[in-house]
Amino acid sequence: MIIGKNIVKEFGDPPHRILHDLSFVIQDGEFVSISGRSGSGKSTLLYIISSLDFPSSGQVLFDDEDTSLMSVEHIHEFRTNHVGFIFQFHYLLPELTGLENVLLPPRNIDRVDEFRDRALELLKTMDVSKVADKLPSQMSGGEQQRVAIARALIMKPKYLFADEPTGNLDSANGEVVMNILKSINKERGTTLCLVTHEEEYAAMAQREIYLIDGRMSERG
Amino acid sequence: MLFLAMKQLFSKKTQTFLILMGVSFGTMLFVSISGVQLGLREYMIKALLNNTAHIIISGAENEITEKEVRSQIYPEGRFINWITPPGGKRDESKLESYLGWVEILRANPDVYDFSPRFSTNVIIKSKKIKTNVNLVGSLPKKQIRISEISDYIIEGDFESLSSGGNKIVLGVGVAEDLGVSLGQFVDVLNAFGKITPFKIVGLSKFGDTRTDSALAFAHLSDVQKVNRTPGRLSEIAVSLTDIDKSEELAELWSSFSKDKVQDWRSANAMFMEMIKMQDIVRYFIMFSVLIVAAFGIYNVLSIMINQKKKEIAILRSIGFPPKKILILILYQGFFLGICGGVVGLAMGSLVTYGVGSIDIGVELGGSNHIFVSYDYSIYLSAFIAALFASLVASLIPAYMASRMTPIDIIRGQA
Ligand SMILES: Nc1ncnc2c1ncn2[C@@H]1O[C@H](COP(=O)(O)OP(=O)(O)O)[C@@H](O)[C@H]1O
Ligand SMILES: [Mg+2]
Repeated sequence: MIIGKNIVKEFGDPPHRILHDLSFVIQDGEFVSISGRSGSGKSTLLYIISSLDFPSSGQVLFDDEDTSLMSVEHIHEFRTNHVGFIFQFHYLLPELTGLENVLLPPRNIDRVDEFRDRALELLKTMDVSKVADKLPSQMSGGEQQRVAIARALIMKPKYLFADEPTGNLDSANGEVVMNILKSINKERGTTLCLVTHEEEYAAMAQREIYLIDGRMSERG
Repeated sequence: MLFLAMKQLFSKKTQTFLILMGVSFGTMLFVSISGVQLGLREYMIKALLNNTAHIIISGAENEITEKEVRSQIYPEGRFINWITPPGGKRDESKLESYLGWVEILRANPDVYDFSPRFSTNVIIKSKKIKTNVNLVGSLPKKQIRISEISDYIIEGDFESLSSGGNKIVLGVGVAEDLGVSLGQFVDVLNAFGKITPFKIVGLSKFGDTRTDSALAFAHLSDVQKVNRTPGRLSEIAVSLTDIDKSEELAELWSSFSKDKVQDWRSANAMFMEMIKMQDIVRYFIMFSVLIVAAFGIYNVLSIMINQKKKEIAILRSIGFPPKKILILILYQGFFLGICGGVVGLAMGSLVTYGVGSIDIGVELGGSNHIFVSYDYSIYLSAFIAALFASLVASLIPAYMASRMTPIDIIRGQA
């Protein structure tokens, strides 16, 4: 369970408030979308919810653990073991093959060999087995995003955070990626938090957090 | 992290190659310059040690002291006001107890060998031509063992002296001045004008004209006889197994003897000063070269980090802690240092070899090549320096990389 308590985020000096006192609860296994217009603060909120960033005031609690109070080691270990990220730009390491990219999180804890079979299986599930030995530069955008999803799932994370994962894909590929994410949430029970500005995808969620200039209006 | 570090380095082949070249070139420069410099130095030390030795034990000056004279003439405690205090030398300096020294030297494991010597100034004459020469008498076999004298004999050989019987090795300059050659006889005149004929069995050439036209060698007993001082020694030349112990041993021995014990360094203080200067120059070159190499590494890594910000953000969001990002960059700097260093050492030794095989057309100590050194200490210090420079150069970029937060990077991109 993720609890957001009075989250405020300000940038700059003099401080400019981007997020205004947001509070919410995301249950385990839930699929929540964060939508709103460009610049409304979606990404900012997602980074804070996902422990990549911290609120100016307020708290984010993962099962009662405050992210702002975690040590540097702990927060990185937490990310490796429990959190999967998917970004709009696929952010694969260009010098690594598809398989090596998927195996990055296990590499962080020196358990590459244990996870090799699972990595191959995930690539198969994502229908991108054929790019296992290819470099990102030899893959299409859709293939890259699916490899990135496989990487996000390799450690069987409890939480999956996606920031406009379809934003850089054509609609056919976008659809495929959305279906994959949805089935992950359904079949594996992974908590899914999806940022999108596309109405259609936002509506696929069980619950929708709609942001207008950093203020929340919940629908769904 | 090593895996990732290597992947990143090899994805930028040209850059990596260029900086490797830089580091190698610097290392090479240092190795070859040091090789030539130290080679020359070794040669000079060798040449120097032919005239001296690691340690020379010689008789102390035999001075007359005021106190000695007073105690001989006046009773104790009397105050004397000298108009001119007594002074001057009582006798020429001579070694006090040769046999005592033999015992000491034989018992010391650091002593390789030693040779008693007696040298005196004589006039050598052939027909009507005369020249002044310092005639050095030694035990030839021992002298050969403690010095490189054989290397400097260009005709005949030094060992022929060992049978005694009035044989002589002349400096080439002496032979030229007198117009004599190997196998001929010359007359040696002592201070009393007495003539002894000597047969020329060898010619020596040290390369220094002044030495070569004023030096001659003969058997110790022959020289003693010429001077009418049988048994008299002027010095003992000592050779050690470890040249670096000369100072220490000289100090020790002089502390329990009246004789003068001098090691080759203090006997050649000027030369040692020059060596010090050379070292300063050499380390200055190394330092400058390494600074350049370090800047190269720093630049490459900084550029690389800028290009790889996105990837660093990914690694952080995946859970790679800042410490690992730091290590990732340091590994790359280290790799550049180690590889560049190793290649530089190899290239440096090749250049050294190349320089060493140039024929300079001048004969020096039995060879007409530039002297070079392959001393391991050159290679060790060059390698350590390359490694150190690369580590220092990668520290700043590595630290900067580890300080970047994933959010800042992603925001910067978006
Ligand atoms: N590091 C920052 N410094 C200053 N302003 C920022 C920073 N990050 C985001 N913002 C501002 O916050 C607002 C919301 O940004 P973002 O969360 O990216 O919106 P969205 O993802 O909904 O498009 C934007 O106006 C953006 O300019
Ligand atoms: Mg955004």
